[in-house]
This record gives sequence, C-alpha cells and structure tokens, in this order.
Amino acid sequence: MSATAAVVRSDVRSARANAARRPVAYGAAALATLVAVWWLATAIPGLVPTRVLPSPVDVVVRFGALIAEPFSGATLFGHALVSLQRWSIGVLAAIGLGVPLGIALAWLPPLRAVVTPAFELLRYIPPFAWVPIAVLWFGATTTTQAAIVFIAAFPACIINTQLAVSQVDSILVRAARTLGAGAATTLRRVVLPVAAPTVFTGLRIAFGNGWMALVGAELIVGKQGLGFLISQGQINDSAATILVGMTTIGVLGALIDVVLQRLQRVALPWRPASAKPLE
Amino acid sequence: MAAAAASNAASPPAIAKMELRGVSKTFHARGGETRALEPCDLAIAKGEFVTVVGPSGCGKSTLMMIAAGLEAPSAGEILVDGRPAGPAGPSRTVVFQRFALFPSETVAENIAFGLRVARTERAEIERRVAEQLALMGLERFAGAYPHELSGGMQQRVAIARALAVRPDILLMDEPFGALDAQTRTVLQEEVSRLQRELHYTVLFITHSVEEAVYLSDRVVVMSRGPGRIKREIAVPRDARWRGLEIEAAGNDASFLAAKREIWELIRDEIVRQ
Repeated sequence: MSATAAVVRSDVRSARANAARRPVAYGAAALATLVAVWWLATAIPGLVPTRVLPSPVDVVVRFGALIAEPFSGATLFGHALVSLQRWSIGVLAAIGLGVPLGIALAWLPPLRAVVTPAFELLRYIPPFAWVPIAVLWFGATTTTQAAIVFIAAFPACIINTQLAVSQVDSILVRAARTLGAGAATTLRRVVLPVAAPTVFTGLRIAFGNGWMALVGAELIVGKQGLGFLISQGQINDSAATILVGMTTIGVLGALIDVVLQRLQRVALPWRPASAKPLE
Repeated sequence: MAAAAASNAASPPAIAKMELRGVSKTFHARGGETRALEPCDLAIAKGEFVTVVGPSGCGKSTLMMIAAGLEAPSAGEILVDGRPAGPAGPSRTVVFQRFALFPSETVAENIAFGLRVARTERAEIERRVAEQLALMGLERFAGAYPHELSGGMQQRVAIARALAVRPDILLMDEPFGALDAQTRTVLQEEVSRLQRELHYTVLFITHSVEEAVYLSDRVVVMSRGPGRIKREIAVPRDARWRGLEIEAAGNDASFLAAKREIWELIRDEIVRQ
C-alpha cells in the first residue's frame, strides 16, 4: 500500500516538475520553429532572395564578424555600449526627476494644479518629435540621445509614482502619525515601501520606452549606437547587419527587463506577490 | 464659550487621564453643514476602560478620531493629564479596525516603530519589543511579515505596537470588527485578562453591546442625528462574572441586566429613526 502511495506521490511530483518545465519547452520549440521556417524560406532556391532575407547561418556569421571587427566606427559591442550609455543617462535622469516629482505631486495638491496641465500637453508630443529641437540645442551629441530617452521614460516614472503614492491607504499614514512619525519618516518607512511595487511597474515601462525611443533616435541622428548600426546596414545593402542589430536590440531590451524584475524581487522581499510567484 | 457648555456627563473622576470638554464636530460639504457631533463631555480616569457604543452614524468614530488628534474638533478641547493634548502622537495610540500594520516591516519592526521614531535606546527597544511579543503571544512571529499572519495575529501586532510606546491612553476603534467570531472571542478574553492585570487607560469603540459590557468599567451610550452622549452606565469591576470566559459571563444575571439596559437605549435610537 505505502509503496504504491510512494510511487503515486513520486509520479505526481515528476508530473509537477514537467508541468513547470513545459512553458519553457513550448517557448523554445516556437522559437526553433520560427528559425527553421526562416531557414527553409532562404534555403529553397528562388523563394526569397538573400538580399531581402539572409539565411540564419549568414546572420550568425555576420554576428561573429561584427563582434570581431569594427563596422561603421565600432564593433557590435562598441555600438551596444554607446547605446546603453546614452540609455542609462536618460533613464537615470528620468528616474531622478520623475520619482521625486511624482511623490511631490501626490502629496502637494497645489503643485498638482500647477504642473498637471503643462505636463498633460507635453506628454502627447512623441519622443521623436523632440529630435529636431534637441539637435538644434545640443548638436549630434550624447546629450541629444539621452534627452530623447529622458523624454520617453519620464512620463511613466512620474505618472506611476504619483499614482502609487496617492493609492497608499491613508490609514497607514494616520497610524504612523499616532506613533509619533513626522512627514519624512512616514514617507521613508511607510509610504515609499508600500508604493514601491507600482513605482517599479512604472520603471519597467520607462526602461522599455526609453530603449525603444533611443534606437529610433539613433536611426535619425548620431555616428554610433545600435540604431546607427542598422541604418548603416541599410545604406550598405547588408540585410544581415540589420538583422544582427535588430536581434541585439531585442535581446538587450529583454535583458534589461529581466534584470529589473530580479532587482524588484530582491528589493521587496515582503511582498506577497514575490513570496509566492503567481506564474 | 466652551466653558459655558453645561456638563451632562456623570461627575468626572478626581484625576482624569484624558478629558474631552465640549467637543463637537460640524462637517462642511457642498455649501451645506452637517452636525456630526453635539458638544460631548467625557472624562476617563487612569486605569479605566471606557467603551462608547451606539448605532451606526452616531459619531462614535468621529469622537475617536478627535480624541486621537487625527481630526480637529469644531469646538471644545482634549486634555491629557489636565493639559491640552496637542496633535496626534504617541501619548494617544490607536488600534484601528483594519489593523493598519506597515506591510514592508516585520512584526518586530512594526512593534518597534514608535520607539525608533522616538529615538529610544536600542537595548530598551529590544527589551520592550520582547515584552510585547510575550504579552501578545507573538514570539514565534517576530520575523514574519504582516501578510503572512491571520487577521487575529495581525491585530495582536497592532495592539502590541500601540502599547510598546507606553501611551497615556490606548484608543481602540472597533478593533475586533474585522475578525471572525472565534478569533474575536479569543481576543476579547485576552484583552480582558490584560486589563485586569495591567490596568491600561482605554477608550474603546464598538457596536457590540456584549463586548462593551464584558471589557469595560463604564459604557457610554451615544445617540444619533446628530451624535451626542445619551447615558453612561458603570459596570462594577468586582462583578461576579469578571475573569470568566465570555460565554460563561454572558449567562450571569447581572451581565445580562447590564446588556439589556444598554441594548434598550440603543434600540430606542434605531426605532426612532
């Protein structure tokens, strides 16, 4: 009896382990299928010209070449580093300004009344619409690129922070007051930790928006960066270069998001959601 | 002006730990005025457990928020040890119905909150936190986060947090209202035991007449429309049923009589509307 039970239990356990592995396996299978279809499309002679769509093998070879030797002024790593640097400056500025301002907007209604109309008007101007004026102001410099990242990332920082802080249950603030806490202590120990998950969601959106806007801006202006790399691929009629650039942009964007999610789990150990992941 | 308000309360004890004098509240909203609280006088002696009961909408929660300093009265004043109480602070800590624990802090950190704010010495903080953990039966949960605890355990933490700063008066705003019946009974019995041993000064709000009688030295019945203090009923500290479980106490004739008397007063209010 107990032997049977043990067998059943171990079956259940391995079934559960399989179930946990399954989504990853499905995802990998889908990616592999995509690459296979791509390869087939380029392998059948006359179906798709390699000038339009190079084969996966060509792209991998090109990837190796771009890592090994400079193209349009830098290796692939060089272009990626330049992009990441511009992105970091813009995003850090957006967080540094957007998060404190979001807190202030949530806590100070008069400030909200002053700032909101102008902010609402400005945030419907797309980041790319700022490129010409940014170039006029700062020239074709890192500042221009970082400014575009800032413009793309800032709204998500400020809006989510304001929302997060204003959603904190006022009873917690009252409890802190009756325990003798002043505004600064209440903000630091009660309001910000409770608001943090929603702020983090804003940061994830901001990071993604900033990254996408940067690559767009680099297509238009600049002498380095991943966006510049793919525009050079177009000029040099090298679809493989374009595809390497696009893939790198996608993978780096996804990596940024993974890192931020890990960071959130470490930074907010007390959250029910991070203690028991839903997925 | 405030001094002219006639006292309709029972004669206040010689030394009031906390006193509400002619406290009233009028809300202004959309051009209109709503009188939430007629002038109220209430004095609570050191070591006394006073409960305010009344139908919903009688202003008992407003009275509590004013006593805590979380809301300003439209008129009147709040005295602690005969002096104006000032804004909200650790002399009057509150246990809220919805616990109001800080979710990012552990049980021990929550309990230590008021002590750390007051820059109490580290060793003293540790000593008082340990004392409260033991008092509330929370030793095993010192490192747990609030979301990992049941409602009853969370409210124990909230009580410990409010007591750790050694307030002049503990304010409890329907503290067991959000708990299931069994948990509520256990906590009522524990608060009763603590009160008999340690004699805190407590202002307690509830809509449960049974809870009011079981825990209190004095029950204040409020009426509504607008809220005012209708009657005060003393519950003798040496009553036969003191120290019994709530189930057993509820069968005692004097307990039932007190309960019936208070319930009649409240029922009048509900029927009158």
